[in-house]
Amino acid sequence: MPKAVEMRHIRKFFPSSGVLACDDVNLSVEKGEIHAIVGENGAGKTTLMSILYGLVQPDEGQILIDEKPVRISHPNEAIHSGIGMVHQHFKLVPSFTIAENIMLGIEPNKAGFINSTTEAETVRKLADSFGLPINPNARIADISVGMQQRVEILKTLQRNAQILILDEPTAVLTPQEVHELYNVIRKLAQGGRTILLITHKLLEVKDVADRVSVMRRGRLIGTHNVADVSIRDMANMMVGREVILQVEKKPAQPGDIVLKAENLLVAGSGGVPAVFGATLEVRAGEIVGIAGVSGNGQTEFIEAIAGMRPVEGGNISLLGTDITHRKVRDRRNTGMAHIPEDRMTMGLNLLTNLDENVAVTRYQEEPYSKAGFLQFSAIRSFAQKIIKDYQVKSARVGEEIKTLSGGNLQKVVLGRELDGNPKFIIANQPTRGLDVGSIEFVHKTLVEARDKGSAILLVSVELDEILSLSDRIIVMFDGRIMGVLDIKDANEQDIGILMAGGSLEKDHPAQEKA
Amino acid sequence: MIDFLTNNARKIRLTLIIAGILIGLLLFIGLPVILVQSSIRLATPYILGALAAMVASRAGVLNLAIDGKMLLGAFIAVVVLYKTGYNPIVGVVAASISGGMLGLVFAVLYLRIKINLIILAIALNLFVANATVFFMRVSFGAFGTLADPSISGLPTIQLPIISSIPILNERLSGYNIVVYIGWVMIAVVWLILFRTRFGRHIRAVGENREAAESVGINVTLVQVFALTLSGALAGIAGSFLSIGVLSQFVENMTAGRGWTAITVSLFAFQQPIAAFFTSLFFGLSEAISLYLQGQPGINIPPDLLLAAPQVAALIALVLVAVRIRAAELLKRRNFATHFGQELANLKRAVLERN
Amino acid sequence: MIINRLRRLVENITIPVLAVILGLLASVFFVALANADPIQTYRNLFCEGFGPQGCETFSDLVIIRVEQEDGTSQSFFSPFYGENGHSLAIVIERATILILTALSATVAFKAGMFSIGMDGQLVLGALTAVFLGVWLPKQIYALAGVPDADSAPEALRTIMHLIVPLICILAAMTVGAFYSWIAGFLKVKLNVNELISTIILNSIATQVAIWLIAFPLRSPDPNSTPRTDRIDDTAWLIPFNRVLLPDVEWLEGARVGIGIVFALIALVVIGIYLYRTTAGYEQRMTRGSRLFARFGGIPSDRAAIRAMLISGALSGLAGAIQILGVDRRVVGEFASVGYGFDGVLVAILARESIAGILLVACFYAGLQQGATNLQFGNLPRQLGGIIIAFIILFNSMENFFRSNIARLQSRIRPNRGQAAPESASGATS
Repeated sequence: MPKAVEMRHIRKFFPSSGVLACDDVNLSVEKGEIHAIVGENGAGKTTLMSILYGLVQPDEGQILIDEKPVRISHPNEAIHSGIGMVHQHFKLVPSFTIAENIMLGIEPNKAGFINSTTEAETVRKLADSFGLPINPNARIADISVGMQQRVEILKTLQRNAQILILDEPTAVLTPQEVHELYNVIRKLAQGGRTILLITHKLLEVKDVADRVSVMRRGRLIGTHNVADVSIRDMANMMVGREVILQVEKKPAQPGDIVLKAENLLVAGSGGVPAVFGATLEVRAGEIVGIAGVSGNGQTEFIEAIAGMRPVEGGNISLLGTDITHRKVRDRRNTGMAHIPEDRMTMGLNLLTNLDENVAVTRYQEEPYSKAGFLQFSAIRSFAQKIIKDYQVKSARVGEEIKTLSGGNLQKVVLGRELDGNPKFIIANQPTRGLDVGSIEFVHKTLVEARDKGSAILLVSVELDEILSLSDRIIVMFDGRIMGVLDIKDANEQDIGILMAGGSLEKDHPAQEKA
Repeated sequence: MIDFLTNNARKIRLTLIIAGILIGLLLFIGLPVILVQSSIRLATPYILGALAAMVASRAGVLNLAIDGKMLLGAFIAVVVLYKTGYNPIVGVVAASISGGMLGLVFAVLYLRIKINLIILAIALNLFVANATVFFMRVSFGAFGTLADPSISGLPTIQLPIISSIPILNERLSGYNIVVYIGWVMIAVVWLILFRTRFGRHIRAVGENREAAESVGINVTLVQVFALTLSGALAGIAGSFLSIGVLSQFVENMTAGRGWTAITVSLFAFQQPIAAFFTSLFFGLSEAISLYLQGQPGINIPPDLLLAAPQVAALIALVLVAVRIRAAELLKRRNFATHFGQELANLKRAVLERN
Repeated sequence: MIINRLRRLVENITIPVLAVILGLLASVFFVALANADPIQTYRNLFCEGFGPQGCETFSDLVIIRVEQEDGTSQSFFSPFYGENGHSLAIVIERATILILTALSATVAFKAGMFSIGMDGQLVLGALTAVFLGVWLPKQIYALAGVPDADSAPEALRTIMHLIVPLICILAAMTVGAFYSWIAGFLKVKLNVNELISTIILNSIATQVAIWLIAFPLRSPDPNSTPRTDRIDDTAWLIPFNRVLLPDVEWLEGARVGIGIVFALIALVVIGIYLYRTTAGYEQRMTRGSRLFARFGGIPSDRAAIRAMLISGALSGLAGAIQILGVDRRVVGEFASVGYGFDGVLVAILARESIAGILLVACFYAGLQQGATNLQFGNLPRQLGGIIIAFIILFNSMENFFRSNIARLQSRIRPNRGQAAPESASGATS
């Protein structure tokens, strides 16, 4: 089989965030195949594809298209080399018609004037030739998300793309639309086009791809025939087996129910539910871990509980108080603390100093303010206490915090959130991007909080982290809770099956979708 | 209420448009000729200014420097005619070139040097307002007003066929060329925006910059062109104020018309044809206000009439915002009912199975 | 830590100072076009703007030599010397309203609201003050059964001197706050762009003001220009220099009164509000990052509305002070002078710093003052506006300057790195 794409020794380092997104990646894709690239968020798969599409320049490495070396420094050059990309967030103009969007930038014109009838006709012919019926005169704002995706695909085909990159194409689709998309992809591949599918949904890989490459932390772990690997194998490759330092902890002594969420319904992007009927309980003195491949509703679930996202159905109660539609401040006053996934924009305000950052959750309470006036001495000594207790290095009271490293920033967040023994702690990816020392510190701190009686809800894409910290494990898939396991009975295999949408009673992954 | 408004949005819009046109026609025929004529004249700077604001907005740049570009156009038109004594049409061309050049400067300062858009506009307006008066005094020794018999005003034009039709002749014919340029520009801008490649690229850049970039459109270039065109239109609008009325330049003669033009374009929701009617509405209120000032017997406050179109514009903006908010709420409610139902069905099915 | 703070201070000052210098340099072009000597012009500009009477050279701005009656000459420190008046006194008069409107703009900006509605709020505030300043005393006299102001008992007038201006000011602040609230409410509840709504609200206020001045509030006194009645003497915030300090020559020609005290108090109060209170903290965090504010449980919407209310109240106060302390009546042109807009410019130039506002307001007022008096020479006062426009442009080129400096540095650095790798390693080991 001739090779459609070869990427050799690709390396990309982002100095601003200090992330090595691609580390000596070698990828080879055969002509006419559907090649899936899987990996967690931040594994480097999107960066790799951005390099191929000319959006990002690699530090090192070589790209070959149709076995000829090419330089792709701009998307225009990628398009010229026959590469098309369908982005996760569609790049369409909502008020334009389908035809106008497909022909944008390559409009047939006479002296600058566009003939919209020929345009619509061209698009109709194109769509018919690929068996993808559309109405060229419908406006993008009026059509479904699935149809919009079809427009994006046609847009690349009109530009004569032979290699199609699809970035998380099913993230916003309904099950029926997913099914149609599979048919389209298969048809295009049969027609000799090469499909590169970026995803972290393993079921999807099994359904539609020929071969799969697994990425983890910037490295390409391996390429396999899909027929030869099981979903569980892929999940294991994705999550990795690197041993995280063992967390010393006593068995949990769960107390009363602290948090209760029932039948939660939360909207995702594109009008599809991100969380569909999830129910959960967290007791005092236990850590409940939510496992799952990222993008299966964990973030939305957590944000709904934290008050950062509206709840459309079901209810949440914290310490017996109904907080379903309460503001963040009320939740915090009831006893909630939140370590957010995104500490740079949500957890901290990098434009101000340490004092103002640690004050945000308690500036209204004494002694941090009196009669509406901030008490800087109290705030400063609190900041000082965090610096000392949480070993925040190179931080100084009153200084801007944007110079601190990721680990130290996270320690600031931890200190602010965990101080004062909150009754309920949400910890979303608490160790993402941290060095080993900081990870150990975060784990120890969370276990200490548990032993002091806090109820902790933990989300992590690192399965090992879930396994070593949690007392109970909940597995989410496609917005639903697939199962609840006690840590004594939990093993990676079972979790892997649940994470892939399977059930423990049956052997094969079942698709129980509504 | 929300449901009704959302479901019948198109019908409501159509009804409003038809009602508007009918009222417009009635006013056009029913009002005294003088009022119709002065409304049309007074609407001209708004038409051109609103088109200028529109071209920039459509390209995704809020152009708050319209007033400065208008003022510059007004000044340059007079200066060129004063220095050369050429045909006044040269003044209009010079005004549009000067406006276009200021638009280009605006584009470069905003896109290359990346000065904050609003601060930049404020600084440019301030600069033009002061520089025009400065030169008027320094180079021409004029105080407050720059006028000279050598500056010829724009002649009036009798339209060939219309001038022989009874009712229409005095209402549609006999204005100076900039009035007609304004009308033609409505069509031209409409054609550019909706029928040419350039216009489509402008709209794509303004609506979804990333979509335009992803297909290889040079966003910066499109914005530079749009801002230059916007400046040229504003310059023509300015020339109407100076050589289209009294053939003189008066200190700060735009009197905030550039800002009003921005309001007009917002009121017209960036549609050229709507901008024509909105401008006429603003022109009419100004004309009535002037008319009333000359009628000592009538006791209607003329200045409040000038506020009326502004109030209407604000109300229109608020109504649109309400509609957007209502649509969001409706979407959320539909989501909750639809999937809530589905969830309940699923639960029941599970219970029945057990 | 002190060194860091000092460095930041120097950094914050460098670019504005650079902008002023560049602005003055760029304006030389215009001076030259007018066939005037730039140095002479700037000398006059600054002397007229900031110097004492008789200031002729730049050095006179600091030390001025004055011929005594007996023929000897004596040196004075210029800012303290002011026989027959000092320009700084007029600068103070003019800066009062600038400080208040700039604070108004700053409070709004610091909540992430780009409101430029100061003009409308100020004009409506001024009209409220003038209406009450005329109407309220009349009512009080009528209640007390006094036919006119002159025959009112002294005790009543003393009380009124205290109460009437206070009521006028509070009412003006309320009106300004309400007008500003409209834009804030529309932004928070309906996401209507506050910049656009304040532009429209300004035009509406201007038209309404022109109407009020021309009709309901017009002085019956048969003069040709539309203007309101003069406020009653009891509503007048009498300038210090006329009553308390009549012998201070330094203040001659200016109307410096309680207004500047209000402005300075407002500076301190707003400074404390923004940086020392929980409410100010809330609005600053809201502007910094909405997501962070929401995450921390800060009521962002309430903070934004509160900021708009305070901003409007300050503009209303500015309008009231201008009327009660300086103009004493509203004339037809008042609505279109654009005091509020000057405040926006001052706030932008001061980069929303409280101390900066005080400096910039005085500088701006002095420049206006100096430019106005240039007119008696050959140059129009518009030179002042041109200079300010240039300064604003240069002042906002910060990013451009910074990136160019960074580029220069990176161009120099690699060479240096190659030249001295040994010494660098030697230093670390």
